[in-house]
Amino acid sequence: MAAAIIETSQLTRSYGDICALKPLDLCVPEGEWLTVMGHSGSGKSTLLNLLGGLDRPTGGSISVRGTDLATLSEDGLARFRRDCVGIIFQQHHLIPYLTALENVMMSQYFHSVPDEAEARHALERVGLGHRLKNRPGELSGGEQQRVCIARAIINSPRLLLGDEPTGNLDHKSTTMVMELLRDLRDEDRFSIVMVTHNQEVAAWGDRTIHMDDGCLVREERTKGC
Amino acid sequence: MLIRILKSSFLKRPKPVLLVLLSIVMGSAVATAFLGISGELSHKMALELRSYGANIVLEPAAGEAGSLKSDDLPKIKTIFWKHNIVGFAPYLFGQVDFGSAAGRQRGVVAGTWFGRPLQVPGEPDSIQGVKVTAPWWELDGRWPETPDEAVIGAALAKRLKVAPGSDITAAAAGKSRTFHIVGVASTGGFEEEQLFAPLAEVQTLLNKPGQLSRVLVSALTVPMDDFGRKNPSRMTREEYEKWYCTAYVTSVAKGVEEVMGGSRAKPIWQIASAEGALLKKLESLMLLLTVLALFSAACAVSSSLMAAMAKRSPEIALMKTMGADRFQIAAIFLGETLVISLLGGLLGYLAGDRLAVVISRTVFDSTVTSPLWLFPTAIGAALVVALAGSAAPLKRALAVEPVRVLKG
Ligand SMILES: Nc1ncnc2c1ncn2[C@@H]1O[C@H](COP(=O)(O)OP(=O)(O)OP(=O)(O)O)[C@@H](O)[C@H]1O
Ligand SMILES: [Mg+2]
Repeated sequence: MAAAIIETSQLTRSYGDICALKPLDLCVPEGEWLTVMGHSGSGKSTLLNLLGGLDRPTGGSISVRGTDLATLSEDGLARFRRDCVGIIFQQHHLIPYLTALENVMMSQYFHSVPDEAEARHALERVGLGHRLKNRPGELSGGEQQRVCIARAIINSPRLLLGDEPTGNLDHKSTTMVMELLRDLRDEDRFSIVMVTHNQEVAAWGDRTIHMDDGCLVREERTKGC
Repeated sequence: MLIRILKSSFLKRPKPVLLVLLSIVMGSAVATAFLGISGELSHKMALELRSYGANIVLEPAAGEAGSLKSDDLPKIKTIFWKHNIVGFAPYLFGQVDFGSAAGRQRGVVAGTWFGRPLQVPGEPDSIQGVKVTAPWWELDGRWPETPDEAVIGAALAKRLKVAPGSDITAAAAGKSRTFHIVGVASTGGFEEEQLFAPLAEVQTLLNKPGQLSRVLVSALTVPMDDFGRKNPSRMTREEYEKWYCTAYVTSVAKGVEEVMGGSRAKPIWQIASAEGALLKKLESLMLLLTVLALFSAACAVSSSLMAAMAKRSPEIALMKTMGADRFQIAAIFLGETLVISLLGGLLGYLAGDRLAVVISRTVFDSTVTSPLWLFPTAIGAALVVALAGSAAPLKRALAVEPVRVLKG
């Protein structure tokens, strides 16, 4: 079995009295595609935000690629985000006044230096080579989500996080996005943690964990790994 | 990339950008206009104040060699600070016996220039004399025009019972001279006890050809400051040069003293200090107004940036999610601010410059040429306004929590 990219121990996140995430021990091996399912309010986004260094735990420890996130400063977490993870949300959070190409290049800018050729290549990989100069408003939902994917993988992260990335997409677009993610993962060998409500989407992953009320209640293998 | 981000962000959000730009332009324009006319205002005020009378008095230096010669007078218009000399008036005083219809009495005669054209090679012609240095005299009658005409002080006129049109005789050392009174002067001062006659006539009468007892000089000066109050004889070479080249009343006095052989020049402090204090107050007032204008502009910038920032928090959250650290976020927003403020400073300067011209034309009826330092000052003012105004919004931007903002 490969080394773990994510290891949490007794990971907890509470908001005052509300315990959004009850002590959780989770291990994700390098290269795994993990799906997180559960009811609304079960703590899926909370977990994902902790994994992405967007939020800090109130208890326990979390380490991604051997880095204990709790020890990182504010700017340290920012550096961790730009170097190690790519994040895709349900809403296609793109900067409206920048073109698709510029949105991708912005991620490069924060990481190191913008490289237009590389950014164009990333958009070609997600099948948007012909929409480089369009602004998000001029793209369909599926296309916007693909721009987000191109932006998320542009700096070759080892971990891709998705919070219901297909939540707003129809069946056809969903399949297209999932195929795209599969192909990209096959090429780049990054790990994926994806939150979804969609059973079909879950089937694309290697393993699924089910959460309820902040607890991991069940886990199943979808494919042999 | 930064430039690309900035360009797109400006082009796509023209309204908030214009609002901020407007505040900066206003602040910078007002500051430019105020500072632009403040020089003019001080100058006008100083000129105005010169009507309070002379601020430098020249007398023969103490000792044997001390003398003051009327032949040297034109040299006053050749000194380093010649353009600051508004006017001067020479005096020769003497005790004489006055004879009039009322009888004989002792008194003082003063020989002077009333309004004498002065030609100095290489300098514009000017009028010098009492008319220029003492414009506050109230004259009943007119100023003398011929050598045998004179003006009499009001008190002396009363004692001798003379009025415009009468004759008066002044006698001293066996000589005597009759003057035709053409004016009675009320001044509120010692002048009211004297008879003012043409200088040359009095020099002959008193048998003191070419001699003077005093010269009153009216000069435009800058207010004394700590440096100006230092003792020039104890200054280093550079300090002395700086002092000499600043129009302090003391350095102008020094310049006059140098050309008038055997003389000693002293500032008339009650005039010079009062004037300095007034000008200083005026300068402080203008400065205060400028600072206030800048402050209110900064407040306007801050509030419009604050509003813009609230709209942009998803964008900031997104940048943070992509791994932008505080420095990178600050760079983007300060970059925007910098561009806006440079542009605002430029426009503000142009607008302020126009404003200064309009103000000076309507208020002072004169034209101003704005000094060179005004441009960098306007840009600087715009920068200060923009930076001060963006401090709070920037702090807010840095505090954006992506998790809260991007929540689906
Ligand atoms: N900032 C917050 N302050 C207080 N409570 C919060 C906050 N964020 C989340 N919670 C609570 O934590 C719990 C888990 O929230 P979370 O967003 O992780 O749910 P979720 O599983 O992602 O749900 P959904 O499927 O609807 O997105 C919820 O009960 C929610 O009310
Ligand atoms: Mg959620």
